[in-house]
Amino acid sequence: MTTAAAKALLNDEQLLRYSRQIFLPEIDVEGQQRLLRSKVMVLGLGGLGSPISMYLASSGVGQLVVVDPDQVELSNLQRQIVHSSDALGMEKVASAKRTLNGLNPDVDIVTHNRRLSEAELIEAARGADVVVDGTDNFDARFTINRACHAAGKPLVSGAVVRMEGQVSVYRFDQPGGPCYNCLYPESNTAPAGQGERSSWQNCSETGVLASVAGIIGCIQATEVVKLLLGIGEVLSGRLLLLDARTMEWNTVGLRKDPQCSVCGTE
Amino acid sequence: MRITLKLFATLGDLLPEGAKANTLEVEVPEGATPHQVIDQFQVPRAMAHLVLLNGVYVDVADRDKPIIHPGDAIAIWPPVAGG
Repeated sequence: MTTAAAKALLNDEQLLRYSRQIFLPEIDVEGQQRLLRSKVMVLGLGGLGSPISMYLASSGVGQLVVVDPDQVELSNLQRQIVHSSDALGMEKVASAKRTLNGLNPDVDIVTHNRRLSEAELIEAARGADVVVDGTDNFDARFTINRACHAAGKPLVSGAVVRMEGQVSVYRFDQPGGPCYNCLYPESNTAPAGQGERSSWQNCSETGVLASVAGIIGCIQATEVVKLLLGIGEVLSGRLLLLDARTMEWNTVGLRKDPQCSVCGTE
Repeated sequence: MRITLKLFATLGDLLPEGAKANTLEVEVPEGATPHQVIDQFQVPRAMAHLVLLNGVYVDVADRDKPIIHPGDAIAIWPPVAGG
Protein backbone atom coordinates (compact mmCIF):
# COMPACT_ATOMS: atom_id res chain seq x y z
CA MET A 1 0.00 0.00 0.00
CA THR A 2 1.33 3.48 -0.80
CA THR A 3 1.67 5.99 2.02
CA ALA A 4 -0.98 8.17 0.40
CA ALA A 5 -3.40 5.26 0.20
CA ALA A 6 -2.61 4.29 3.79
CA LYS A 7 -3.20 7.84 5.00
CA ALA A 8 -6.57 7.85 3.31
CA LEU A 9 -7.67 5.12 5.71
CA LEU A 10 -7.07 7.32 8.74
CA ASN A 11 -9.24 10.42 9.09
CA ASP A 12 -7.74 13.84 9.86
CA GLU A 13 -8.57 13.61 13.53
CA GLN A 14 -6.84 10.21 13.80
CA LEU A 15 -3.79 11.45 11.90
CA LEU A 16 -3.50 14.26 14.44
CA ARG A 17 -4.37 12.18 17.51
CA TYR A 18 -1.75 9.54 16.72
CA SER A 19 0.74 11.89 15.03
CA ARG A 20 3.48 11.43 17.68
CA GLN A 21 3.36 7.67 17.11
CA ILE A 22 3.04 7.96 13.36
CA PHE A 23 6.26 10.02 13.41
CA LEU A 24 8.10 6.94 14.67
CA PRO A 25 9.55 5.14 11.66
CA GLU A 26 8.79 1.80 13.36
CA ILE A 27 5.08 2.65 13.45
CA ASP A 28 4.17 5.10 10.66
CA VAL A 29 0.61 5.22 9.28
CA GLU A 30 0.52 1.53 8.50
CA GLY A 31 1.57 0.57 12.02
CA GLN A 32 -1.08 2.86 13.45
CA GLN A 33 -3.68 1.21 11.27
CA ARG A 34 -2.51 -2.16 12.44
CA LEU A 35 -2.92 -1.03 16.06
CA LEU A 36 -6.44 0.15 15.27
CA ARG A 37 -7.24 -3.30 13.86
CA SER A 38 -5.70 -5.14 16.85
CA LYS A 39 -7.44 -6.89 19.71
CA VAL A 40 -5.86 -7.26 23.14
CA MET A 41 -7.25 -9.02 26.21
CA VAL A 42 -6.32 -7.42 29.54
CA LEU A 43 -6.83 -9.63 32.59
CA GLY A 44 -7.12 -7.74 35.87
CA LEU A 45 -7.90 -4.02 36.15
CA GLY A 46 -5.80 -3.28 39.20
CA GLY A 47 -2.41 -1.66 39.67
CA LEU A 48 -1.01 -3.25 36.52
CA GLY A 49 -4.18 -3.41 34.42
CA SER A 50 -4.77 0.32 34.93
CA PRO A 51 -1.68 1.65 33.11
CA ILE A 52 -1.77 -1.29 30.67
CA SER A 53 -5.33 -0.55 29.55
CA MET A 54 -4.91 3.23 29.60
CA TYR A 55 -1.79 3.24 27.42
CA LEU A 56 -3.18 0.66 25.02
CA ALA A 57 -6.38 2.70 24.69
CA SER A 58 -4.62 6.02 24.22
CA SER A 59 -2.25 4.40 21.71
CA GLY A 60 -5.22 3.37 19.60
CA VAL A 61 -5.43 -0.41 20.01
CA GLY A 62 -8.75 -1.09 18.28
CA GLN A 63 -10.38 -3.45 20.75
CA LEU A 64 -9.63 -4.10 24.41
CA VAL A 65 -11.30 -7.03 26.11
CA VAL A 66 -11.10 -6.26 29.83
CA VAL A 67 -11.76 -8.89 32.48
CA ASP A 68 -12.14 -8.35 36.23
CA PRO A 69 -14.77 -9.73 38.63
CA ASP A 70 -14.35 -7.01 41.30
CA GLN A 71 -15.89 -3.69 42.23
CA VAL A 72 -13.91 -0.51 42.85
CA GLU A 73 -12.94 -0.09 46.53
CA LEU A 74 -11.39 2.86 48.32
CA SER A 75 -8.15 0.93 48.96
CA ASN A 76 -7.77 0.42 45.18
CA LEU A 77 -7.54 4.10 44.29
CA GLN A 78 -3.93 4.64 45.50
CA ARG A 79 -2.60 2.68 42.52
CA GLN A 80 -5.46 1.62 40.25
CA ILE A 81 -5.52 4.86 38.32
CA VAL A 82 -8.04 3.79 35.70
CA HIS A 83 -10.66 4.13 38.46
CA SER A 84 -11.58 7.50 39.94
CA SER A 85 -13.11 8.44 43.29
CA ASP A 86 -16.60 8.70 41.85
CA ALA A 87 -16.39 5.08 40.65
CA LEU A 88 -16.47 3.59 44.17
CA GLY A 89 -18.76 0.56 44.18
CA MET A 90 -18.89 0.34 40.39
CA GLU A 91 -17.84 -2.78 38.52
CA LYS A 92 -14.18 -2.31 37.69
CA VAL A 93 -14.83 -3.16 34.06
CA ALA A 94 -17.56 -0.48 33.81
CA SER A 95 -15.39 2.08 35.58
CA ALA A 96 -12.46 1.25 33.29
CA LYS A 97 -14.62 1.39 30.17
CA ARG A 98 -15.75 4.89 31.11
CA THR A 99 -12.16 6.09 31.65
CA LEU A 100 -10.77 4.35 28.56
CA ASN A 101 -13.45 5.68 26.23
CA GLY A 102 -12.90 9.11 27.76
CA LEU A 103 -9.24 8.81 26.79
CA ASN A 104 -10.03 7.52 23.32
CA PRO A 105 -13.51 6.99 21.87
CA ASP A 106 -11.96 5.11 18.90
CA VAL A 107 -11.40 2.05 21.09
CA ASP A 108 -14.03 -0.67 21.41
CA ILE A 109 -14.08 -1.88 25.03
CA VAL A 110 -15.55 -5.35 25.63
CA THR A 111 -16.16 -6.08 29.32
CA HIS A 112 -16.41 -9.27 31.38
CA ASN A 113 -17.36 -8.63 34.99
CA ARG A 114 -16.47 -12.14 36.16
CA ARG A 115 -13.73 -14.73 36.22
CA LEU A 116 -13.67 -16.56 32.92
CA SER A 117 -13.42 -20.34 32.97
CA GLU A 118 -10.38 -21.91 31.34
CA ALA A 119 -12.50 -22.86 28.29
CA GLU A 120 -13.80 -19.28 28.04
CA LEU A 121 -10.28 -17.91 28.40
CA ILE A 122 -9.04 -20.14 25.58
CA GLU A 123 -11.88 -18.96 23.35
CA ALA A 124 -11.26 -15.30 24.24
CA ALA A 125 -7.48 -15.68 23.74
CA ARG A 126 -8.10 -17.17 20.28
CA GLY A 127 -9.97 -14.00 19.37
CA ALA A 128 -7.17 -11.71 20.63
CA ASP A 129 -3.80 -10.88 19.13
CA VAL A 130 -2.07 -10.59 22.51
CA VAL A 131 -3.08 -11.38 26.11
CA VAL A 132 -1.81 -9.34 29.08
CA ASP A 133 -1.82 -10.66 32.64
CA GLY A 134 -2.21 -8.14 35.46
CA THR A 135 -4.01 -10.43 37.90
CA ASP A 136 -3.12 -10.69 41.57
CA ASN A 137 -2.89 -14.40 42.32
CA PHE A 138 -1.10 -17.53 41.16
CA ASP A 139 -4.22 -19.58 40.41
CA ALA A 140 -5.41 -17.02 37.85
CA ARG A 141 -1.91 -16.80 36.38
CA PHE A 142 -1.60 -20.57 35.96
CA THR A 143 -4.99 -20.71 34.22
CA ILE A 144 -4.18 -17.79 31.92
CA ASN A 145 -0.85 -19.40 30.99
CA ARG A 146 -2.56 -22.69 30.09
CA ALA A 147 -5.22 -20.86 28.07
CA CYS A 148 -2.67 -18.84 26.08
CA HIS A 149 -0.65 -22.00 25.43
CA ALA A 150 -3.78 -23.76 24.16
CA ALA A 151 -4.76 -20.77 22.01
CA GLY A 152 -1.22 -20.20 20.70
CA LYS A 153 -1.33 -16.50 21.62
CA PRO A 154 1.50 -14.43 23.17
CA LEU A 155 1.20 -13.64 26.87
CA VAL A 156 2.72 -10.54 28.49
CA SER A 157 3.00 -11.22 32.21
CA GLY A 158 3.90 -8.78 34.98
CA ALA A 159 3.84 -8.86 38.77
CA VAL A 160 4.58 -6.41 41.58
CA VAL A 161 4.98 -6.46 45.33
CA ARG A 162 6.21 -3.72 47.67
CA MET A 163 8.92 -1.93 45.61
CA GLU A 164 9.78 -4.80 43.29
CA GLY A 165 8.48 -5.98 39.97
CA GLN A 166 8.92 -8.67 37.33
CA VAL A 167 7.98 -8.79 33.62
CA SER A 168 8.29 -11.43 30.92
CA VAL A 169 6.73 -12.40 27.60
CA TYR A 170 5.73 -15.95 26.67
CA ARG A 171 5.61 -16.47 22.89
CA PHE A 172 3.05 -19.22 22.49
CA ASP A 173 2.73 -18.05 18.87
CA GLN A 174 6.27 -19.40 18.33
CA PRO A 175 7.67 -22.85 19.14
CA GLY A 176 10.33 -23.67 21.70
CA GLY A 177 10.15 -20.90 24.31
CA PRO A 178 9.54 -21.25 28.04
CA CYS A 179 6.15 -20.59 29.64
CA TYR A 180 4.98 -19.10 32.94
CA ASN A 181 4.74 -22.61 34.38
CA CYS A 182 8.45 -23.18 33.60
CA LEU A 183 9.21 -20.17 35.83
CA TYR A 184 6.52 -20.79 38.46
CA PRO A 185 5.65 -24.49 38.35
CA GLU A 186 2.32 -25.46 39.86
CA SER A 187 2.86 -27.43 43.07
CA ASN A 188 2.78 -30.92 41.60
CA THR A 189 5.55 -30.20 39.15
CA ALA A 190 7.71 -27.90 41.31
CA PRO A 191 11.30 -28.93 42.05
CA ALA A 192 11.45 -31.42 44.91
CA GLY A 193 10.41 -29.91 48.20
CA GLN A 194 9.78 -26.47 46.75
CA GLY A 195 6.19 -26.68 45.68
CA GLU A 196 4.50 -24.90 48.57
CA ARG A 197 2.03 -22.84 46.64
CA SER A 198 0.04 -22.00 49.74
CA SER A 199 2.98 -20.01 51.09
CA TRP A 200 3.38 -18.30 47.70
CA GLN A 201 -0.14 -16.93 47.81
CA ASN A 202 0.64 -14.51 50.60
CA CYS A 203 3.05 -12.59 48.40
CA SER A 204 0.17 -10.90 46.62
CA GLU A 205 -1.35 -9.67 49.85
CA THR A 206 1.44 -7.33 50.94
CA GLY A 207 1.67 -3.66 50.04
CA VAL A 208 2.91 -2.09 46.84
CA LEU A 209 4.19 1.35 45.89
CA ALA A 210 1.70 2.76 43.36
CA SER A 211 4.26 4.04 40.90
CA VAL A 212 6.11 0.70 40.84
CA ALA A 213 2.91 -0.95 39.60
CA GLY A 214 2.82 1.89 37.08
CA ILE A 215 6.38 1.19 35.87
CA ILE A 216 5.74 -2.53 35.41
CA GLY A 217 2.34 -1.95 33.76
CA CYS A 218 3.91 0.54 31.34
CA ILE A 219 6.56 -2.01 30.38
CA GLN A 220 3.82 -4.57 29.75
CA ALA A 221 1.93 -2.09 27.53
CA THR A 222 5.16 -1.40 25.63
CA GLU A 223 5.75 -5.11 25.05
CA VAL A 224 2.16 -5.49 23.78
CA VAL A 225 2.60 -2.72 21.20
CA LYS A 226 5.95 -4.21 20.12
CA LEU A 227 4.32 -7.63 19.67
CA LEU A 228 1.40 -6.17 17.71
CA LEU A 229 3.73 -4.29 15.36
CA GLY A 230 6.71 -6.67 15.30
CA ILE A 231 9.07 -4.03 16.68
CA GLY A 232 12.44 -4.90 18.22
CA GLU A 233 12.89 -7.75 20.68
CA VAL A 234 10.41 -8.53 23.42
CA LEU A 235 11.22 -10.09 26.80
CA SER A 236 10.80 -13.63 25.49
CA GLY A 237 12.96 -16.15 27.36
CA ARG A 238 13.99 -13.34 29.72
CA LEU A 239 12.62 -12.18 33.06
CA LEU A 240 13.15 -8.50 33.80
CA LEU A 241 13.50 -7.73 37.52
CA LEU A 242 13.13 -4.27 39.06
CA ASP A 243 14.30 -3.31 42.54
CA ALA A 244 12.92 0.21 42.80
CA ARG A 245 14.54 0.74 46.24
CA THR A 246 17.93 0.98 44.57
CA MET A 247 16.51 1.41 41.04
CA GLU A 248 18.48 -1.61 39.92
CA TRP A 249 17.36 -3.71 36.98
CA ASN A 250 18.37 -7.29 36.33
CA THR A 251 17.52 -9.63 33.49
CA VAL A 252 17.69 -13.37 34.00
CA GLY A 253 17.40 -15.89 31.20
CA LEU A 254 14.44 -18.27 31.34
CA ARG A 255 14.78 -21.80 30.08
CA LYS A 256 12.06 -24.06 28.82
CA ASP A 257 11.53 -26.92 31.27
CA PRO A 258 11.32 -30.08 29.12
CA GLN A 259 9.19 -31.64 31.88
CA CYS A 260 6.88 -28.63 32.25
CA SER A 261 3.29 -29.82 32.71
CA VAL A 262 2.04 -27.14 30.31
CA CYS A 263 4.60 -26.79 27.52
CA GLY A 264 7.02 -29.67 28.19
CA THR A 265 7.97 -32.11 25.50
CA GLU A 266 9.10 -35.08 27.64
CA MET B 1 33.92 -14.63 54.66
CA ARG B 2 31.81 -11.54 54.22
CA ILE B 3 29.22 -11.28 51.47
CA THR B 4 26.31 -8.99 50.70
CA LEU B 5 22.87 -10.51 51.18
CA LYS B 6 19.88 -8.93 49.49
CA LEU B 7 16.39 -10.23 50.24
CA PHE B 8 13.56 -8.95 48.08
CA ALA B 9 9.93 -8.21 48.83
CA THR B 10 8.53 -10.02 51.87
CA LEU B 11 11.84 -11.83 52.43
CA GLY B 12 13.32 -8.49 53.54
CA ASP B 13 11.55 -9.03 56.89
CA LEU B 14 13.93 -11.94 57.54
CA LEU B 15 17.12 -9.84 57.45
CA PRO B 16 18.86 -9.40 60.82
CA GLU B 17 18.87 -6.01 62.56
CA GLY B 18 21.08 -3.42 60.97
CA ALA B 19 19.91 -4.06 57.45
CA LYS B 20 19.86 -0.96 55.30
CA ALA B 21 16.77 -1.20 53.10
CA ASN B 22 16.78 -4.83 51.98
CA THR B 23 20.56 -5.34 52.00
CA LEU B 24 23.05 -6.43 54.65
CA GLU B 25 26.70 -7.41 54.74
CA VAL B 26 26.86 -10.78 56.46
CA GLU B 27 29.41 -13.36 57.58
CA VAL B 28 29.06 -16.84 56.10
CA PRO B 29 31.42 -19.87 56.27
CA GLU B 30 34.18 -20.17 53.66
CA GLY B 31 32.98 -22.26 50.74
CA ALA B 32 29.33 -21.72 51.60
CA THR B 33 26.71 -22.80 49.09
CA PRO B 34 23.62 -20.75 48.19
CA HIS B 35 21.42 -23.24 50.08
CA GLN B 36 23.59 -22.88 53.20
CA VAL B 37 23.18 -19.09 53.06
CA ILE B 38 19.43 -19.49 52.47
CA ASP B 39 19.20 -21.79 55.50
CA GLN B 40 21.49 -19.65 57.68
CA PHE B 41 19.13 -16.70 57.36
CA GLN B 42 16.04 -18.89 57.75
CA VAL B 43 14.66 -18.18 54.33
CA PRO B 44 12.19 -21.02 53.61
CA ARG B 45 13.62 -22.80 50.55
CA ALA B 46 10.18 -22.76 48.89
CA MET B 47 10.30 -18.96 49.10
CA ALA B 48 13.78 -18.70 47.55
CA HIS B 49 12.35 -18.69 44.05
CA LEU B 50 15.08 -16.80 42.23
CA VAL B 51 18.67 -16.74 43.49
CA LEU B 52 21.12 -14.34 41.82
CA LEU B 53 24.87 -14.43 42.47
CA ASN B 54 26.38 -11.07 41.46
CA GLY B 55 23.33 -10.50 39.27
CA VAL B 56 23.51 -13.88 37.51
CA TYR B 57 20.76 -16.46 38.04
CA VAL B 58 21.79 -19.58 39.98
CA ASP B 59 19.99 -22.70 38.80
CA VAL B 60 18.36 -24.87 41.47
CA ALA B 61 20.82 -27.65 40.60
CA ASP B 62 23.77 -25.37 41.47
CA ARG B 63 22.51 -24.20 44.84
CA ASP B 64 24.37 -26.94 46.73
CA LYS B 65 27.70 -26.06 45.13
CA PRO B 66 30.38 -23.90 46.86
CA ILE B 67 30.15 -21.12 44.30
CA ILE B 68 30.18 -18.13 46.67
CA HIS B 69 33.37 -16.12 47.15
CA PRO B 70 34.31 -13.28 49.53
CA GLY B 71 32.74 -9.99 48.48
CA ASP B 72 30.03 -11.65 46.38
CA ALA B 73 26.44 -10.43 46.44
CA ILE B 74 23.61 -12.93 46.78
CA ALA B 75 20.09 -11.74 45.98
CA ILE B 76 17.01 -13.83 46.68
CA TRP B 77 13.52 -13.21 45.25
CA PRO B 78 10.35 -14.86 46.55
CA PRO B 79 7.54 -15.82 44.16
CA VAL B 80 5.75 -12.59 43.15
CA ALA B 81 2.17 -12.49 41.86
CA GLY B 82 0.79 -9.10 42.92
CA GLY B 83 -1.08 -7.01 40.41
